[in-house]
Amino acid sequence: MRNLLVIYSLCILVLSGCGRDKAGSGITVAGSTSVQPFADKWAEVYMEENPGKIVNVQGGGSSAGIQATKSGACNIGTSSRDLKSDEKDLTEIVVARDGLAIIVHPLNPIDNLGLEQVKGIFNGKIRNWRELGGSDKMITVVTREEGSGTRGAFQELVMKKDRVAKSAIVQDSNGTVREIVAGDPNSIGYISLGLVNNKVRALKLNGVPATDENIISKKYKLVRPFLFVTKGEPTPVCREFINFVQSAEGQKLVSEEGLIPVK
Amino acid sequence: MTRLERNERLIKIALLVIACSAVSILAVITIFIFSEGTPIMFKYGFKSFLLGLDWYPSEQSFGLLPMIIGSVMVTLGSLIVGVPFGLACAIFLTEFSSRRLRHILKPIIELLAGIPSVVYGFIGVVILVPFIRENFGGPGLSVLAASIILGIMILPTIISISIDSLQAVPRSYREGSIALGATKWQTTKMVTLKAARSGIIASIILGMGRAIGETMAVIMIAGNAINIPHSVLDPVRTLTSNIALEMGYASGEHREALFATGVILFVIIMVLNTLANLTSAKRKA
Amino acid sequence: MVSSIGGANLRMEVKNLNFYYGRSLALKNINMGIENNKVTAVIGPSGCGKSTFIRILNRMNDIIIGTRVEGEILLDEQNIYDPRVDVVEIRRKIGMVFQKSNPFPKSIFDNIAYGLRINGISNKTEIIDRVEMSLKNSALWDEVKDRLDDNAFELSGGQQQRLCIARALAIEPEVILFDEPCSALDPISTAKIEELINQLKEKYTIAIVTHNMQQAARISDYTGFFLLGELIEFDKTEKIFTNPSQKQTEDYITGRFG
Repeated sequence: MRNLLVIYSLCILVLSGCGRDKAGSGITVAGSTSVQPFADKWAEVYMEENPGKIVNVQGGGSSAGIQATKSGACNIGTSSRDLKSDEKDLTEIVVARDGLAIIVHPLNPIDNLGLEQVKGIFNGKIRNWRELGGSDKMITVVTREEGSGTRGAFQELVMKKDRVAKSAIVQDSNGTVREIVAGDPNSIGYISLGLVNNKVRALKLNGVPATDENIISKKYKLVRPFLFVTKGEPTPVCREFINFVQSAEGQKLVSEEGLIPVK
Repeated sequence: MTRLERNERLIKIALLVIACSAVSILAVITIFIFSEGTPIMFKYGFKSFLLGLDWYPSEQSFGLLPMIIGSVMVTLGSLIVGVPFGLACAIFLTEFSSRRLRHILKPIIELLAGIPSVVYGFIGVVILVPFIRENFGGPGLSVLAASIILGIMILPTIISISIDSLQAVPRSYREGSIALGATKWQTTKMVTLKAARSGIIASIILGMGRAIGETMAVIMIAGNAINIPHSVLDPVRTLTSNIALEMGYASGEHREALFATGVILFVIIMVLNTLANLTSAKRKA
Repeated sequence: MVSSIGGANLRMEVKNLNFYYGRSLALKNINMGIENNKVTAVIGPSGCGKSTFIRILNRMNDIIIGTRVEGEILLDEQNIYDPRVDVVEIRRKIGMVFQKSNPFPKSIFDNIAYGLRINGISNKTEIIDRVEMSLKNSALWDEVKDRLDDNAFELSGGQQQRLCIARALAIEPEVILFDEPCSALDPISTAKIEELINQLKEKYTIAIVTHNMQQAARISDYTGFFLLGELIEFDKTEKIFTNPSQKQTEDYITGRFG
């Protein structure tokens, strides 16, 4: 019995040791789940081109990524919203931009809303499509959960000081928000522009369609940055990865995936 | 001491150690949840957690009342759906069906318990939610949808344990009743069910435990709005979904508030279980 | 084989009865009468079919899947196996007390009231009166009158058996079947039950299965001897025990086998 115990604990030690070893020699990128797929792509190509370098990408959410960077648990934090005032002590690098699309069911007759109208819908003041010139149906509002970067960006860009109504349906990913809006003719939600497909329709905002051109020309207002943050100046190892991300090659990777490049 | 006696003693000690470690793991979990969750409750006051209506963690507003009510509603709803169906099914299979049918159906019903909850949630999203939206109105993601899916999820527990306890009722009770001129249904209703009562109550308690603790399926179909629902067609958020939805992104006080949610869930489950155990013990006596 | 008793005042009559468990024939061509206000005993070694026989008399075998009855069993000239007959009504008229006392997990009062309630009696005073009457008739009243709300399981074995008799009496049957009612009881409780049966025959017709020959001799007026699913001999008890006409009967009652 004692022998078994010894072997058992040795196994655990060896296994956990292995894990630590791997993490130690590379850099860890953690944070926004919206940024994660793109960071994965960057890391994959970067590691292919630079054998021996290791980049670990983890999710956790923007806030968690920022916290982890502050505490030193990861080398680079990722965020899909702007830093809050108490987070401004970190170094921020914009690596891409993402449009936020306000989406409705394709059969919804409405195709344009003002920013104030969107705010009114999400804070619960406007509750029926009739008030916006649509059919006499209650609006099903779909939002993201507290702590998500997409919700943070939406809060900052649209809601400002107002709260999202408590009656809003809450989903925990862009995908499920899209699924619900695609299924419910009376619903409205917001997702990354890159994830809009033909099952939902992105509304014009103050008459401006949500397109890449309008985002680059700054006509379309709902744009959030995808940030890399580091504690102080990035270390040389991190700098190298960030340079790759900002290079023409790195930026091309994300525009292929539906994001707006920064350069 | 002979060798046999010594062996006996060693085995006893080994079993004791294992038993104690199982209990101590539970204790560690409990202590961990409480130590993570209670400080923030002291900081903002129990009342603001238990009776607060607003859950906006980014603004230090941690009211859990909507989620407490949500959990209770969804659990009760699932019992309203699951208990009559489950009992009817158990009664049919023990009292009115042939032994062969029972031997085929019971394992199948027990297999249902092994289906992952995400599958139930998926079925709910794909079939039930649109059905409710189109036929009853509202967003479809609702107390009703969650109650129905949870009611189905607790069926295997209720059916299987109820069948066992009905089968454990001595045949002589049934014979005694039949010999007095009772019909099969009268016998079932007035003798068999009463004799199997404690087992049936246990099955309901276990079903309730599963319903209140279920998370994945509920997140998918309940809508998760932080409002207190006004009707069964309104979306609702349960305590478990609150934790699972936001834990991934939470940090600082938000994270502590989620642990506080866990503390409240823990207390509610303890209270419910104790109440249920007390009633079943009282009835048995 | 010798069977019914000619000219007697018969309450029940069994005619050419065959009984099958699945494909096997458990009772072969039984003919027998049960006389009004008399005690008819059925004896025989274990496995001879005597318990099976008595359960057929109020269709308790119906609840066992895969059994089949051929022939006729008449209660007051009416075949109880006639498909038009209401089986619930038959069981109400023909009560039964089982080998092992089987009170319900209810109070003493409710055990007896149960039979009344399922037979549609809801008047409270009537229920109370009939519970008391049944307990008196089963000689249990004095022992339990102060504890009617106690659980029936708190009674002794003999008391439980008398409670089961009271339960059967409450719905006022015409015939009461006893399936080895004393096999699990001590001699004193047995004596009480035998005495009770003796009193009951004034009002009821009684059939009793027993493995105890002395008991049959003590309490019955007629006795049937079963062996291997056949009724070997049926006659007045006195005759069976003093001057049986069959060799097998004589062997059994003199203790040569069984």
